[in-house]
Amino acid sequence: MHWFSRSIIAGMLLTAPTWSNSAIAQGTLRVAFGSSLNTLDPAKTKIGEEYIQNFLIYSGVTEIDRDGKLKPDLAESWTASDDVKTWTFKLRKGVKFHHGREVDAEDVKATIERVIDKATGSVARVNFEIIDKIEVVDPQTIKFELKLPYAGFAEILSDRQARVVPRDKLDTIGQEPIGTGPFKFKSYKPGDRVELVKNPDYYVPGTPKLDAITFRIMPESAAQVTALETGEVDLVWNLPLESIERFQKNSNVTVDSVATSTWDGVIMNAAHKPFDDVRVRRAIALALDKKALVEAALYGHGSVTHTMISPTHPYYNKDIAITGPDIAGAKKLLAEAGHANGFKTTIFVPSGRPPRERVGITVKELLKPVGIEVDVQRVPWDKFVKDIEGKEAFYVDGFFSRPTIDTSIYPWYHSKGSWNTVLWNYKNEAMDKVLDAARGAKSDDERAKLYKEFQALAVNEPAGVVPYVLNHVNAFRKNVKAFQSSPMMWLDLRQTTVQ
Amino acid sequence: MITYVAQRLLAIAFILFVMSVLIFGITQVLPGNVAYMIAGQFATPDVVAAIENKLGLHDPIFVQYWRWASGVLRGDLGQSLIMERPVGPLIQEAMARSAILAGVAFICVAVLGIVLGVVAAVRKDSATDNAISVFTYLGISVPEFFWGIVLILVFARYLNWLPSGGIGDPAFGLPVDPRYLILPAITLTFALIAHVSRLTRSSMLEAMRSNYVRFARAKGLAESLVVRRHALRNALLPTITVLAIDVGFLIGGIVVVETVFSYPGLGRLLLFAIERHDLPLIQASILIIATIYCTANLIADILYAYFNPKIRYGRPAH
Amino acid sequence: MAAPLIDQDGLEAPLAGVTRPRLPRKLVVGGVIIGILVVLAALAPWIAPYRFDEMSLLKRLKPPSAAHWFGTDEFGRDVLSRTLLGARLSLLMGIGATLLSLVIGVPLGLLAGYRRGRFDEVLMRTMDVLLSFPPIMLGLLILAVTQPALWKAIIAIGIVYVPPIVRITRSVTLDLVNEEFIQAAHVRGDSTRYILFSEILPNAWPPIAVEASLRITFAILLGAALSFVGMGAQPPSSDWGLMVSEARPFVDSAPWIALAPGLAMCLTVIGINLLGDGLRETLDPRMRSQRGA
Repeated sequence: MHWFSRSIIAGMLLTAPTWSNSAIAQGTLRVAFGSSLNTLDPAKTKIGEEYIQNFLIYSGVTEIDRDGKLKPDLAESWTASDDVKTWTFKLRKGVKFHHGREVDAEDVKATIERVIDKATGSVARVNFEIIDKIEVVDPQTIKFELKLPYAGFAEILSDRQARVVPRDKLDTIGQEPIGTGPFKFKSYKPGDRVELVKNPDYYVPGTPKLDAITFRIMPESAAQVTALETGEVDLVWNLPLESIERFQKNSNVTVDSVATSTWDGVIMNAAHKPFDDVRVRRAIALALDKKALVEAALYGHGSVTHTMISPTHPYYNKDIAITGPDIAGAKKLLAEAGHANGFKTTIFVPSGRPPRERVGITVKELLKPVGIEVDVQRVPWDKFVKDIEGKEAFYVDGFFSRPTIDTSIYPWYHSKGSWNTVLWNYKNEAMDKVLDAARGAKSDDERAKLYKEFQALAVNEPAGVVPYVLNHVNAFRKNVKAFQSSPMMWLDLRQTTVQ
Repeated sequence: MITYVAQRLLAIAFILFVMSVLIFGITQVLPGNVAYMIAGQFATPDVVAAIENKLGLHDPIFVQYWRWASGVLRGDLGQSLIMERPVGPLIQEAMARSAILAGVAFICVAVLGIVLGVVAAVRKDSATDNAISVFTYLGISVPEFFWGIVLILVFARYLNWLPSGGIGDPAFGLPVDPRYLILPAITLTFALIAHVSRLTRSSMLEAMRSNYVRFARAKGLAESLVVRRHALRNALLPTITVLAIDVGFLIGGIVVVETVFSYPGLGRLLLFAIERHDLPLIQASILIIATIYCTANLIADILYAYFNPKIRYGRPAH
Repeated sequence: MAAPLIDQDGLEAPLAGVTRPRLPRKLVVGGVIIGILVVLAALAPWIAPYRFDEMSLLKRLKPPSAAHWFGTDEFGRDVLSRTLLGARLSLLMGIGATLLSLVIGVPLGLLAGYRRGRFDEVLMRTMDVLLSFPPIMLGLLILAVTQPALWKAIIAIGIVYVPPIVRITRSVTLDLVNEEFIQAAHVRGDSTRYILFSEILPNAWPPIAVEASLRITFAILLGAALSFVGMGAQPPSSDWGLMVSEARPFVDSAPWIALAPGLAMCLTVIGINLLGDGLRETLDPRMRSQRGA
């Protein structure tokens, strides 16, 4: 081919970005995230990328907004009985599923029953086991009777797996999601992209403002970063923390960081010596410099905390100070526990979860001064879940935010909690009492008091060390307007526009 | 010739059958893990058992095999366990994308390989010849993933000319944006070009020394005509068969290259399936890939037979 | 996948077999490179300045310097040390897998070539089936069903390369079976095992050795590819393929992490290729001259 024609074609190809931009409808937001989706069925979702779809395609009975406050969603109001055992929700009228039918209480019932059903395999099942009976009073009213008093029930209904699905489409919901959310599902190409389009009948008038959203699946963090820089995508979800620095000087890109209740923890399994001795656990808690851990593991993008209650939360106990490491105190406690010369141990970290790997390495450094010699072992994630969690003595693990404070804490700190027995085998009667009381607490003040007590207990008699809660970071270009990161780590794109 | 082709087809059918048994047999070592993965971390043994039953994982192995094999022959490749959608369309899409990439790479290997081989032969022992030799040698000495990463570093990061991975939006009527094909195709080409160029070079050299070419030169024909008309045509014969064999190497390389460039083709789909222990997807992917490989080898054999008079015309009558 | 080298020229040295052939340059250069590599790999634990898993977050992602000739990776580990120790793993992979394929493939090939008949038929069909898989696919198939690990990858690669070994062994055996001295041994009543291993093999080994040297290269590259996609060596080991894979998120902020193992792989493969080429050049004329005698 003549060199002239070759260069013309080359020129055309290289300038193609401008071409393809005009081909896409105006008002299409392009987002990059890291993983393919396994399912679009809310009850079965397990990963962050799937949770995003839950929020956009579906609605919940209630929702939690950016500031952590509970808001009505499909339910316009609700009441609880005096003993907080019976909850009645009144649903909005006239909200339609994407296939045209109006949503009613039967749909909500079917949704929740599905989550409770063992055959579905939903990870949220344990949260809904407190439900004794679900009663459809009329098409707009649904009543839940619980087995025990539970003040946070309305929050649980906002959870990711409980988003409302149409009862007549349950068979195909995994491939053809139909919800009541601001966006309709258009297509999903595994390994490539997810496409959503605007739901013109969304019940909140004036929203959504976007015409469409395209999610590009980019497993390589470096590819995400490049795509954002070149404008190939407008927003990167959950930006890898090590890339944040790159964008500090970039005037085209905003890095939006928000505190979440997602936490990592140094797990000390009380079923193994020497961690069965609370003095040893306290000593380690004293020796670990939480600020250093935030710096090392998160490049500074996190907040130190006592437990998984984030420092921005109203129930956070400000009265307990987070002090720097107390090596002398730690040594004293170790000596009391019979380990005057320290001891040797191994800490396991999951490879493929870099912040936790960094925690493990830093713990090794931080425990040297008190005489504890730590060997860091990196284990592939699958093997970690199978062989390390709950079985080994000393390891680093992490968990996503939960919608309610009770569901964030109870499973871990209550002796009967579902995570407690598979993680660190923590038994503390005083703790159990406090957590049970908090569940039934009727007033906000009472709950605040009890949860502050919980934090004091957790610091004095630690189960493990929760050094920080992570920040969730999104990065977006300046053509994206009215977007804010959410502490629940999903994307609320109802008000967002793109130029 | 016909008998030869028929024989080969029969052999292929047999091989594919044994292959399917092998694939199925090996992957059946997995069952417990699949159910466990679907059920999730908190699954109690009864939940796992329920899922295993639903998937028919406790039936005798022959029954399971027959279920799978008869489905495949009917065109039903099964249901992905993890994604709960039919495997067929997943593989189809992925295969289309891989085919485009492989096709582009193949054309580049063929064209560039032959061109370089001819140039090297015509300028035997010159600096050009040596340069080509070193260049192609580098290509096959170093793993594709390394070259791929170097190319990304240079062209996508420093120079920002090309995207560093993925497939972009469909453009020009193709399912992939051509710009996303450039770097992966170059990587694949570079890895394979040595075969073709070297073989072309040596068969060109042989051809150019042969009698009929000497005769053509003696006749007084221009050198370029000699090269083009006589030497080239004969030199290409073994090259064609090497190209067919290269399809096999392409398939091998594509898994790695698709990983480096996050290109959502069949290779990546297979790795995705393996990570998640998604049996039906693993089985179907490997079966399809191996079938393509077999077919490529078959074509190579047939082409070789076609050009080899002994086989083409059968044995001479006595 | 990288591929076999094909002869530079199609020419025979005009006086081969007559004058005493000098060792070809390729053999020497290749031999030197590989020799150095083997020595480095063997001595790695002693000459490596740091341990391969010595982590320190303060020193992470540092560019090459006097203290760290190839810089440090995201955990502060010395890249040079890891690369040196990775040499052991790669050589282990290459040699181990090839040895395995030889141990399995050579006896099978000898037997098939000597005995012919049913056994030969069945064996060759089986080999055909195995050869119908692209090598990396067969490797992935075997590894897919189990938790990946380095030693499992070595076994998988060994199995993958049995067919070519069987083929070449069988082919050479077929050539030799008609020789007089083999016929004589058969008539004498020597046991099959004796004939195979003490009469045929000593004469058959040159092409097998050449093939084996090619296989080592393939095994190293296939092993690196498997580790790269996560199905071979596992973290925190410092296998070269794995190192490159782990270096990907940092390829523009810290390219040295990928460069060191990459260059190491280049040198290794080039060295072995040269060695193999040189080996072939020395052994071929010798074989020819042997036959002519």
